[in-house]
Amino acid sequence: MTTMRSGAALCVLLAAGSAGAQYSAGGIKLGLLTDMNGVYSAISGPGSQKAAEMAADDFMKANKEFAGKVTVIAVDHQNKADIASNKASEMYDRLDVDAIFDTVNSACALATSAIAAQKKKVFIDTGAGTSELTNEKCNKFTFHYAYDNYMLANGTGTTITKQGGKTWYMIYPNYAFGQNLERQFRAAVEKNGGKVVAPSEATPFPNTDFSNYLLKAQSLKPQVFGTMQAGADLVNVVKQYNEFGLKKQNIGLAIGLLFESDVAALGQDAYQGAIATVPWFWNLDKAATDWSRKFEKAVGKKPTFDQAAVYSAVTQYLEAVKRAKTDEGEKVVAQLEGRKFSDFFAHDAQIRKEDHRTILDVYQVQVKPKSEAKEDGDYYKEIAKTLADQAFTPLSESKCKMAQ
Amino acid sequence: MTLLFIQIFNGLVNGAFYALLSLGLAVIFGMLRIVNFAHGALYMLGAFTAYALGERFGLGFWTSVVIAPLSVGVFGMLLERTMIRRLYDLPASYNLLLTFGLTLVIQDGVRLIYGISGQPYAPPPQLSGATNLGFIVFPTFRLFAIVVSVVICSLTWFIIERTRVGAVIRACTENPTITRAFGIDVSLWVTAVFGFGSALAGLAGVLAAPIYSVDPLMGSELIITTFAVVVIGGLGSILGSVITGYAVGVLVAIGSALYPPIANTLIFILMALVLLLRPSGLFGLQEAR
Amino acid sequence: MSARRWIVRAGVVLVLLVLPRMIYPILAVDILAWGLFALAFDLVFGYVGLLSFGHAMFWGTSGYVTANVLLRTGLPVPVAILAGTVAALILALPTGYLSIRSAGIYFSMITLAFAQMVDFIARQADRYTGGDNGLPGIPRPPLGPIQFDNPLHLYYFTLALAGLGYLIAARAIESPFGQALRAIRDNRVRAQSVGYNPRVQMLVAFLLSAGLSGLAGGLHTVGHGVVSLDAVNWSTSGIVVMMTLLGGTGTLLGPLVGATLVLLLQDALAFSTSASGVVTGAVFALTVLFFRRGVVGTLLALDLRRRAGERFLGPAK
Repeated sequence: MTTMRSGAALCVLLAAGSAGAQYSAGGIKLGLLTDMNGVYSAISGPGSQKAAEMAADDFMKANKEFAGKVTVIAVDHQNKADIASNKASEMYDRLDVDAIFDTVNSACALATSAIAAQKKKVFIDTGAGTSELTNEKCNKFTFHYAYDNYMLANGTGTTITKQGGKTWYMIYPNYAFGQNLERQFRAAVEKNGGKVVAPSEATPFPNTDFSNYLLKAQSLKPQVFGTMQAGADLVNVVKQYNEFGLKKQNIGLAIGLLFESDVAALGQDAYQGAIATVPWFWNLDKAATDWSRKFEKAVGKKPTFDQAAVYSAVTQYLEAVKRAKTDEGEKVVAQLEGRKFSDFFAHDAQIRKEDHRTILDVYQVQVKPKSEAKEDGDYYKEIAKTLADQAFTPLSESKCKMAQ
Repeated sequence: MTLLFIQIFNGLVNGAFYALLSLGLAVIFGMLRIVNFAHGALYMLGAFTAYALGERFGLGFWTSVVIAPLSVGVFGMLLERTMIRRLYDLPASYNLLLTFGLTLVIQDGVRLIYGISGQPYAPPPQLSGATNLGFIVFPTFRLFAIVVSVVICSLTWFIIERTRVGAVIRACTENPTITRAFGIDVSLWVTAVFGFGSALAGLAGVLAAPIYSVDPLMGSELIITTFAVVVIGGLGSILGSVITGYAVGVLVAIGSALYPPIANTLIFILMALVLLLRPSGLFGLQEAR
Repeated sequence: MSARRWIVRAGVVLVLLVLPRMIYPILAVDILAWGLFALAFDLVFGYVGLLSFGHAMFWGTSGYVTANVLLRTGLPVPVAILAGTVAALILALPTGYLSIRSAGIYFSMITLAFAQMVDFIARQADRYTGGDNGLPGIPRPPLGPIQFDNPLHLYYFTLALAGLGYLIAARAIESPFGQALRAIRDNRVRAQSVGYNPRVQMLVAFLLSAGLSGLAGGLHTVGHGVVSLDAVNWSTSGIVVMMTLLGGTGTLLGPLVGATLVLLLQDALAFSTSASGVVTGAVFALTVLFFRRGVVGTLLALDLRRRAGERFLGPAK
């Protein structure tokens, strides 16, 4: 951790060294605002904190002039939007945080985004999926990394339908995320010649028993059963999907949003054959595997894609700060906008200037049975890929004011 | 029409859990006037005990279904002896608040050990798969759960209402002083009853493990629904809770088929209606005012 | 005795005046809002003896109404807060009237039921509440010289309004009305026999409680610039109970002290990644078991004992 003394010393050094570089006294502070103890802590939580710290350390090693200058502060928002807004405010104001990462919860992400715009400091969301961040609620200081609803629906819906899954029946949790995701899925399916055989069912949220819907699916016999549930609800859906034997009746499973921790909750055999879209997974390719081994050594668990996204986002931010020669919000934003890059997490990526959506190649994966897994955590088999420029909302459809 | 029938049947499965859980709560509240908010956490402990017994000692479902409820019962008795009994002289609100605090501790404690995501648990091979009932092909384990629930509820009702043991319990709670004068150790009986109620919650948890996600928060939304069931049935009436449990299960299933968003709230609407029209609940014996 | 009381009160006011210099101002705003909420809750819990499990419905409804007024109209902040308070009062009329008819655990359950219904409506009416995403980025137009984006301005504005709410509650508690409430709480039948009408008094107390909760909720929403479903969740009702208990029910300062402690605890926990649930739950359980009178209650009891001892033995040398 940086003390005031070393911060001041560093400022002298920097002032003497790099011409025109202006960093805040106390160095570059990164804020990791997320759910540390609650329902999303497995997806993000302390693992994300570690990822941010790793990124800061690696950046400082590669850029000696920043040594000892970058620190990470982790804060728990407990999945409450008012706490998130409070803490974001406090982080930007009192703790001199220059950029906040993650948030993982859509309501918290939106609240933080509003604060970021107010304080004119950077916010990069990796874990929350609401596409409003780059549409209706977009603003100059907010960036959306990793995934959003459009990407999930477009990727999975298109791939499965094209591969022969023409008839669909879907269920979705009855709140904004679920409603939105279902709509996008339906659009993707129909665009590719598929058909939704019965009106999609809204389920109570949260919910533990899905037998009603599974029985209905049994009677409808679609080729694909789509579920937009996430987290504990998803685990229940999959558990009961197996219990009611839908797979044996050749009703395939399409999952809207799938995290590695969901698979771990039941074991991969329960998910075997299910298809979902992810921006990344730990053994996607050699670069990913190498990084994941380092992460696993430090944390004890394999990384989720949100945690990898945090590392990537932090690195991109720090690189932007270096290019801007300052940590002042507006100037860093200018360096982030339009940036094209490729790293272990984001392939062929670009941070779109118009809506601050990071586009990257995404992958359709299928869960493989435990017998085919080479080690613990080897869940996915890549079956298709959607290129960056097709994976996300086309700019022509964007509702972002900045894009008009 | 068949679909409606299927949904009602499904509702019976949910009802089986509500009935079993509210039975335990009704026993504890009806008999002891303790508002046990930790009931949901005890249910969760039952499920996790079954999981741990399987994972650590390789014990299967059939062993766990006996051991887990017993352990949860013992744990419940410990809670009663060390903490809950200190608040008997105070209004019931205080025990509600204490058990609320205990719930947080238990849930978070399990989370720290096992993580927030679920743990896998499969039904025993003898009960996996489905049974053809003619109008529906239904998972065998769910049928088993319904049967167990009905049997246990009937047994409990019978014991409390029709046996000498039950008479002693009822005497302890209706008039502890006189009962003590008869030489009966009231405080021991109270502990035993609390343990029994907790064991019922644990049993519900073991039955839930193969069909619902086994995670630290599995009891947290369930607990307020269970309270609602007990209140609707009438605090103090075992029969009331059980019947209401099944009825609510079916009603919520139908409700969520017709208008899903209302499913989680339907029970509170019901509760409000019942309390306004019949303040003591449907089968209640207490004076509510 | 009177002098001591005034010293304590002056001390509290002094602390409140400099609070934003001691801790992060928005946290201080939170303390004021929750403190008022807890006091409002205690009007019904400590003085009428009824444990409401649904007070979040007043706090949350007011929050949403305040937010909508600010988002959809250009009306000034105090008007929005007033609208929220009035909304809470309107909600309290039917819910209070129906709930008061029950007692004990039934009262708690009925208030919980109503709160769950409000939660459901909030969830469904997402055009006005934003549903699960909530309503972030609520505009707070300046009021004369007061800039709400300035944390210090925000704090002193909140202090003024919360202080007003506090004074109203204090007046009610220390008035004959308050004494009537206590009489009803201690022995309803006897109170009736001397001519009090419990139903009316309890309803008035409930309305007052709801209105002040609404005021607190409006202040909270303005303070954060965001409102979400957490505001109507039953766990919010639970938190306010914990604050009151920890601080000391039946005392004027207790709820404020309790709110401060809980918020500071929550703040500390936010910066550590460890077992927040275990700590919170343990604090709660231990308070109920051993510390039932809460901080202020215990201090008062100690003081009482000392003074009683003094009277018997003469002042301590």
